[in-house]
Amino acid sequence: MPATSSSFRDGRGFDRMLVWITLTFLIVFSAFPLAYNILMSFQSVDLFTLASFDRPFVGLDNYKEVLTNSATDIIVKNTIVFVLLSVAAQLVIGFGLALFFQQRFPGATWLRGLFLAGWILPGLVVGAVWSWILAGDFGVLNWVLQTLGLTDDKIFWLSDPTNSLYSVIIANVWIGVPFNMILLSVGLSAIPDDVYEAAELDGAGRVWRFLTITLPLMRAQLGAVISLGIIFTLQQFDLFAALTQGGPSNGSNVMQYWSWELSFQDYRIGQGSAVSVLMIIVVIGVAAIYVRSTRHEHAA
Amino acid sequence: MTAQIEIENIDKHYGAYHALKNVDVRIPQGQFVALVGPSGCGKSTLLRTIAGLETITSGKIRIAGKDVSAAPPRARDLAMVFQSYALYPHKTVAGNMMYALRLKGMTRKQARARAEEIAQITGLDGLMDRYPRELSGGQRQRVAMGRAIVREPQAFLFDEPLSNLDAALRVHMRAEIRKLHDRIGATSVYVTHDQIEAMTMADHVVVMRAGVIEQQGAPLDLYDHPVNRFVAGFIGSPAMNFIPGQIAADGRHVVLDLPGAPRLTFDGRRPADEPVTVGLRPEHLVPGAGDNMLTLPVAVVERTGSSSYVLSDTTPPVMIAASDRLQGVERGDIQVTIKPSLVHLFSQTDDLALSAR
Repeated sequence: MPATSSSFRDGRGFDRMLVWITLTFLIVFSAFPLAYNILMSFQSVDLFTLASFDRPFVGLDNYKEVLTNSATDIIVKNTIVFVLLSVAAQLVIGFGLALFFQQRFPGATWLRGLFLAGWILPGLVVGAVWSWILAGDFGVLNWVLQTLGLTDDKIFWLSDPTNSLYSVIIANVWIGVPFNMILLSVGLSAIPDDVYEAAELDGAGRVWRFLTITLPLMRAQLGAVISLGIIFTLQQFDLFAALTQGGPSNGSNVMQYWSWELSFQDYRIGQGSAVSVLMIIVVIGVAAIYVRSTRHEHAA
Repeated sequence: MTAQIEIENIDKHYGAYHALKNVDVRIPQGQFVALVGPSGCGKSTLLRTIAGLETITSGKIRIAGKDVSAAPPRARDLAMVFQSYALYPHKTVAGNMMYALRLKGMTRKQARARAEEIAQITGLDGLMDRYPRELSGGQRQRVAMGRAIVREPQAFLFDEPLSNLDAALRVHMRAEIRKLHDRIGATSVYVTHDQIEAMTMADHVVVMRAGVIEQQGAPLDLYDHPVNRFVAGFIGSPAMNFIPGQIAADGRHVVLDLPGAPRLTFDGRRPADEPVTVGLRPEHLVPGAGDNMLTLPVAVVERTGSSSYVLSDTTPPVMIAASDRLQGVERGDIQVTIKPSLVHLFSQTDDLALSAR
């Protein structure tokens, strides 16, 4: 008995156990749902067949239906706008703040830490807060704009189809900025001061130092932040649920919310799965870019 | 010779901390100047104020006659070699060397040609397309040098450039930097904590301590005529022996506070009965009997082949450095003599050298 327990600790048994715990977790909670989702996207699944595995295969029918749906155009367009604007704004504001907090001033690290508070809040809470800020009748934003004299009338941020998507983008940017800032701050502080000093002596001004030293040395971090930003933005569900529910009339609907609507509101589960499979393909492409950019980081 | 870099009574405060105190140095065109001192003495701060990386609180810095006290680093036309080399990690060797040239408005082709030319001098040809991470420490050091030389600046600034290299390479690069200096003839300011580097490379050595220049001059002047006990102990290796003593009533002898109270003659006259610190360089104590002799009990003998070191069993211990093997000296006493002109005397009150009067 002592022999087996010591061989368990010192031999390969312990290593194997650790690997199997991880693998089991991944298989049960990631691989199985993923495979099941892909399977369902080729089947006709409704409330009656949900409980059994024996469901009729329909080939690519679900995909055809999803791609020819009258709402598809606006939802795909919304998704692209949502991702591009969110990631771009998060990156620019996050990088700006990272550069700002890189300056040494009293309380810089302390203030930077405070910014993380926004990121650790649950999405639904952030959504609730923003729904008050953006509310048409009693919202703080309208009050501020009117008090400052920037607008005369109330703007219906959430219920006007031309504004609703941008309202969600504003809230999503607010959530994503701290993450961008922290990751980029880490990258910035990894650049040694004397490299900047050398560039300064070589005759480079502030802007030129940023373009020729900071940006190229931040390539790995920027790649990571952009690809993670795209993935997080494609996962952003809570804000839509809390703010607009994709409305009005799909004005702020995006693929991740649509997939949920198809599956759990309309019970067209096969089509909902098809939408999510289409999104998985995009995410895999982005993830590949992310892995490549972090590999570059190790080489440097 | 015209002064290339003039540092006029500069002071530097970091809050309440007074980092540089009334520092005044004139560096003639083409001279190699070493700033040397223990860590925290302000030598790197002084170099960085010349570069413009630190501001000065008061005083003036002039480069080639132009007041640059408030000018940013890029307006000073100086090149610096950093301790960590500070190469651009994302640029090749050629890219590192071309960076400043491209900023000056040279075309890519001109800059590349100029970089290739300097690569020949610094032994970097064949490495032009490598990245810094693919180079050894010595090669990175050369890139840092090449990047400085390629610009043809008003002056070179070196911030302990050899301290990250191993001992053998350091000695080699020391000679190489000096050779390059002689070849290019540009003014150089070199910061080091290693007095051997300062003594062997520089035309002019500035010894600093706690933000103050203790003494500056030609290397052998500092060795022969240190103005105070600090400089005497800092310059020279192995370090000078310091023994308490008292000047005799005749003002021409000093009685050492060692067993047997030996008397040594020194040159000139000093105030009688003054308590002093006597400075004797280990290499000036010559084994053998004769005039002006000390008899010391031996504690340890170390032989390196080319030279031998004897440490005496006294308080304070006295170090003797001899160029022969001292056959037969193991235990018992050793007799050494010293020329009167080589006996240094320092006041016990302010550590200043007591000059003859």
